Amino acid sequence: MSYAVETTNLSKRYGRTWALQDCSLALPTRRVAALVGPNGAGKTTFLHLAAGWLPPTSGRVQVFNQNPSTQLKAVLPRIGFVAQDHPLYRSFTVEDLLTFGRRLNPRWDDRLARARMQMLGVPLKRRAGQLSGGQQAQVALMLALAKRPDLLLLDEPLASLDPLARREFLRTLLDATVESGLTVLLSSHNISDLERVCDYLIILSASYVQLEGDIQEIQRTHKRLIGPHQESEAIASVHTVIETSQTARQTTLLVRTNGPLFAPSWEVQEVSLEDIVLAYLSQQAAEHLSSAPSPRTHNGMEVVQ
Amino acid sequence: MIWVTWRQNRAEGFVALGVLLLSSLFLLVTGLQMAHDFQQSGLSDCLAHHTQSAICATLAKAFMNQYSPFLPFASALVFLPILLGVIVGAPLVAREFEQRTHQLVWLQSITRMRWLSVKVVVVLGTSLLAALALMVLLIWWYSPFSQLIGSFNQVTFDFAGPVLIASTAMALALGIFAGTLTRRTVFAIFLTIVLIVVIRIGVEFNLRPNYEPPIIVTWPLVQGDNPATVGTQPPPIILKTQDWNLGQGFMDAQGNKTGVFRCTGPQTQTLAQCIQTNGYRNYLSYQPANRFWTFQWIETSIYLAFTLVAVGTTFLLMKRRPT
Repeated sequence: MSYAVETTNLSKRYGRTWALQDCSLALPTRRVAALVGPNGAGKTTFLHLAAGWLPPTSGRVQVFNQNPSTQLKAVLPRIGFVAQDHPLYRSFTVEDLLTFGRRLNPRWDDRLARARMQMLGVPLKRRAGQLSGGQQAQVALMLALAKRPDLLLLDEPLASLDPLARREFLRTLLDATVESGLTVLLSSHNISDLERVCDYLIILSASYVQLEGDIQEIQRTHKRLIGPHQESEAIASVHTVIETSQTARQTTLLVRTNGPLFAPSWEVQEVSLEDIVLAYLSQQAAEHLSSAPSPRTHNGMEVVQ
Repeated sequence: MIWVTWRQNRAEGFVALGVLLLSSLFLLVTGLQMAHDFQQSGLSDCLAHHTQSAICATLAKAFMNQYSPFLPFASALVFLPILLGVIVGAPLVAREFEQRTHQLVWLQSITRMRWLSVKVVVVLGTSLLAALALMVLLIWWYSPFSQLIGSFNQVTFDFAGPVLIASTAMALALGIFAGTLTRRTVFAIFLTIVLIVVIRIGVEFNLRPNYEPPIIVTWPLVQGDNPATVGTQPPPIILKTQDWNLGQGFMDAQGNKTGVFRCTGPQTQTLAQCIQTNGYRNYLSYQPANRFWTFQWIETSIYLAFTLVAVGTTFLLMKRRPT
């Protein structure tokens, strides 16, 4: 299998704070992946490392088997990047921005860019600063897509958009991925918006990777079990318990199954993707609060708090 | 990237071009009139033949009376480079960070070092061409004055040669450097002004008169001990128009410049005797006209050195702080 982004123990430190630690993951090509985590989890840092924007403190990142921080010239034309709040030159007209893209990118697809702008009804003569937030996001996405990248990175693309603009933005994105062999990695602190478009999930929390994998696979292997207190030990010895909550009469477990689940005295429920993500994120926080203050967890806690 | 640089800075470009055109228009109109008068009145001939006649002096006086009010305008043009550094240089990089558009442009298919190089080269290049045009025009405009009052003085030196071009380059480079360092346009503008003022005051007032040791001429303050002759002795030389007079005053026997006479002798001592016993004399300090171009090139090199350091540091800063 070939990978669009592959990292090995990738770490980045700013001053004394670790923004990302020992991150090892492999994102297969042609996937639409969600990079999910709370604010400050290292999502932006990860995307910047992948785009060659930052050199790693330690570890390795590879984009299509090339190191973006040393082979930037080769990697840059293959990456599309939509930064947080989709910055544009506000005094440029949309037409100017098309010229900007055409002049700075060898693989630029002018027809595609114009067709998209026409389809979305964005006037070419208008200055970027006078467009609505949704239109600005669309123009930023168009600039990234018309570059004909193999990998598209989006940093919190939906955060500043209203629900309607979100839907339209995701539709444009979905169209683009269907048409080409594009790999997409988009970060968000909220998974619910992304369930429709993403088929791959990376959970990043407190500068560590918590979970990575195909979304269907993740949903298949994660179950909620409701049953008697005394048997939870037995479950935990076979499967991985992510979250436990107890009432006086019963225990509720969220588990990742390691093999077939045989638990006749337990009620087995499907879990929504959002609940799985939340379970991992709260597990992370709980672990840090209870563990001994080793340097790593200490740093992690700072980020969580 | 050249197109992008142009598109980003065209507003400032138009303003700068407008200012340049207006200044040029003014210089052309007044300059042609001055040149015409200078020829027609016969002043030009007078000066060419070194005639020390009363008519020549009258003509010179009339010319100066009519046209010297324009002189402050020429010296005001010397502030244009500073303006360029502030308006074009400081925001060049700072504005990208401020509006976060560096996140857009750095992820196109060109490296940020190339992005910075093109920006710097395009802006510096066009500004230097503009400065060159202004310099040529100013030298032509000033030429009648040059023959009357000389070009080798604190004010005219700024625009009468390549120093004007080098100081423009320096102002721009300092602006770009300040913008890269602070990443905030307002701070960058402030820092640019401070840097330019500090460097130029330091160079113009402390270094410029001393690129080569000034020639100091001394002569007696008094003839014998005749009190009537104190301070009436004429200097042994008369400075030419093109020499740079650095000032005159008194000097003691050890060669220290002084403003007062310290007479420590008996009460009966006369001023003339005091001057005699302490060895006080007149001095005149000046830079001869033939050093003008040496001085121009020395100062040009100084400003270009600052330019290189500022540009080099800008690139280093950009490499060191990647986000």
